[in-house]
Amino acid sequence: MPYGWVGQVLRINLSEGKVTKEPLNLEWAREFIGGRGLGTRYLYEEIDPACDPLGPENKVIFATGPLTGTYAPTGGRYMVICKGPLTDAIACSNSGGYWGPELKFAGYDMVILEGKAPKPVYIWVYNDQVEIRDASHVWGKTTEETEDILRAETDPQARTSGIGPAGENLSRVACVINDKSRAAGRSGVGAAVGSKNVKAMVVRGTGAVEVADAMKFSELVFESLRLLNESPTATKALRGLGTASTVGFTNSIGILPTNNFQAGQFGEANAISGPVIAQTVLRRNKGCYSCPIGCARVTETKGPSKWQGRGEGPEYETIFGLGSDCGVGDLNAVLYANYLCNLYAMDTISAGGTVATAMELAEKGYIPAADLAELEFELKFGNPDAVMACLELMAYRRGRFGDLLAEGGYRLAEHYGHPELFMGVKKQDFAAYDPRGVKGMGLGYATSNRGACHLRGYSMMLEWFAPREMRLDPFTTDGKAQAQKTLQDKAACEDSSGICTFTTFEVTPDKLYPMYNAATGENLTLDEWNLAGERIWNLERLFNSRAGFSRKDDNLPPRMTREPLTGGAVQEQVVELEPMLREYYDIRGWDDDGSPRAETLSKLGLG
Amino acid sequence: MKMILPHPEKCVACHLCEGACSFKHEGSFVPAKTRIWVYDFVDEGIYGAVTCFHCKDAPCLSNCPTYAITRDPATGQVTVNDDKCIGCKMCMVACPFGVMGFHMEKNVAHNCDLCGGDPQCVKVCIYDALEYAEVEPNEWMLRLDEVEKPAAAT
Repeated sequence: MPYGWVGQVLRINLSEGKVTKEPLNLEWAREFIGGRGLGTRYLYEEIDPACDPLGPENKVIFATGPLTGTYAPTGGRYMVICKGPLTDAIACSNSGGYWGPELKFAGYDMVILEGKAPKPVYIWVYNDQVEIRDASHVWGKTTEETEDILRAETDPQARTSGIGPAGENLSRVACVINDKSRAAGRSGVGAAVGSKNVKAMVVRGTGAVEVADAMKFSELVFESLRLLNESPTATKALRGLGTASTVGFTNSIGILPTNNFQAGQFGEANAISGPVIAQTVLRRNKGCYSCPIGCARVTETKGPSKWQGRGEGPEYETIFGLGSDCGVGDLNAVLYANYLCNLYAMDTISAGGTVATAMELAEKGYIPAADLAELEFELKFGNPDAVMACLELMAYRRGRFGDLLAEGGYRLAEHYGHPELFMGVKKQDFAAYDPRGVKGMGLGYATSNRGACHLRGYSMMLEWFAPREMRLDPFTTDGKAQAQKTLQDKAACEDSSGICTFTTFEVTPDKLYPMYNAATGENLTLDEWNLAGERIWNLERLFNSRAGFSRKDDNLPPRMTREPLTGGAVQEQVVELEPMLREYYDIRGWDDDGSPRAETLSKLGLG
Repeated sequence: MKMILPHPEKCVACHLCEGACSFKHEGSFVPAKTRIWVYDFVDEGIYGAVTCFHCKDAPCLSNCPTYAITRDPATGQVTVNDDKCIGCKMCMVACPFGVMGFHMEKNVAHNCDLCGGDPQCVKVCIYDALEYAEVEPNEWMLRLDEVEKPAAAT
């Protein structure tokens, strides 16, 4: 058994109902680290990037990293990799919880789903026993009901990862949910799983993950734990207030997207901010597997309200997506909308972005009265009833309007003739940082391989959160191209290794690569580690090029480049994308059309 | 005696202690062979870790048919002797907390051995949900109350 890995890939051909186990390609694992990189390598080899993401020729890969299942801080991540139904580009969505490690303990580094099952099925994995079982009794059920039923009929300690009604109905904002509330959220990966007629994967494992150098590994882990425990970002902000701790700051400087990015400050932001959540609705903190941060919020609605429920969340991105971006400042409503998204298994960012797009289209009068007349609610900003109703329409594709919503914000706006009102890139909605006030993020959104995403190159850290002397001016374009390249490569390594991005504020690459080396027994240098990140980024880019993407898709909506923000510290700003993009292509070694040059590819061993 | 005292109200259900325990005892990450367990009923908001309390009136010890389980008279620590254990699992049935573990390959029961005085689970728990503390062995009923606290609080 190789170290860090368990060395086995589970391949499930759903069309034929055939299960095969094959050795992990360790050469690729070395070149692409694991998880995101390795999964993309398999996908690049095995599918035609131009295929229909909802067709049987697309494959869905559930991949872990070499640190998944170890006690490396936050070493509990897994990734879902496929061609994204929302974006038509490469998709890799990352999730924590307990499912990823359980898969490794069961003896698999990766699961590849291919083909399409003739009828709904779920996969039951108990160590080396793998069964494709009938799922007709859970088809249509929410993620919570599904997990309860499937655990009862398999093993009460089993972990599940699967889809809700949104994925079944091929809603392009559907996500994969594991352990009831942890989401591999973006790019519509849930629809890809749904298109294969797979409801869930239920896993129970009793095996082991071994590391190469136990002494060294534990030394490095304890050192990182100490750093994390001393870090105010990890403890005060993330542990104390969750990701919601960001709301107050982004709102004060004016980049908390509000009403579909028409404003950067939200009047009711305080009601949905971290401290208020901690003081009112928070029941307990929770951590994913091996997590020394514990940012997850186990919550319950509070006080008299028509929205009653309990569950997990909200994250900062959810507070924006289902809150400020839709003009909703009622905390109970935001929580309830979050719970609904978890139950239906929908990405809270893209679901929120889609509703916000619909609201702006309606308010501007671009949706014909006949279409609006079918709705039983008033589609306007600030109306929580509209949010809840839209979420349900979207998950179940109810009616003609529900069918449109389920296609995501871009296709909705395009249908009504105003694609410029969709706030996102490559058909994927922006995250909760208005790029006009943090221009590096603008470049990051535009160039992200999986469509607009804050986690691919989180330059917010450098432009606003860093100590003053290290800060890049958020209002200029200087140094943003280089910063994005470095951050994108860095994130590619971190994701692929199987740890969470929140650890990496303290566990910087110079601390992470020795941990990877100690776990796997490899001897990478820091340069080789960084190069692996660049290799992963370029491979994703190659996939997209073959899927038909080019420079025209590295773009921002005109609102970002032409309409200045109005409030806060960031007013009068727009994103000057073109100069940053030119510089970025240059630094990346890509041609004017955004494709990697031959010498870049040969430097990375991708030629 | 000194033993591992859980403070479930501080636990976040990250399972780091299980990883650390198995890494120490088995040399690999294998939660199935851990000697400390995290129960995670997230829906109910109930989670925490449990491990051997080295009970003063230890049912595992008095139920062991081969006298494989003994108590160190000096420290009070309860230990399974591998050579005498026949893998009958009587101790697992007897344990009121369900904290007797079982090693499938060796076919012997195992409990928390306090890592010889340097418990790894405590070291790895940066939430302070585990404490290596001086506790009177007959106080385990008090600790039972503490384990039940979060359920009452919700």
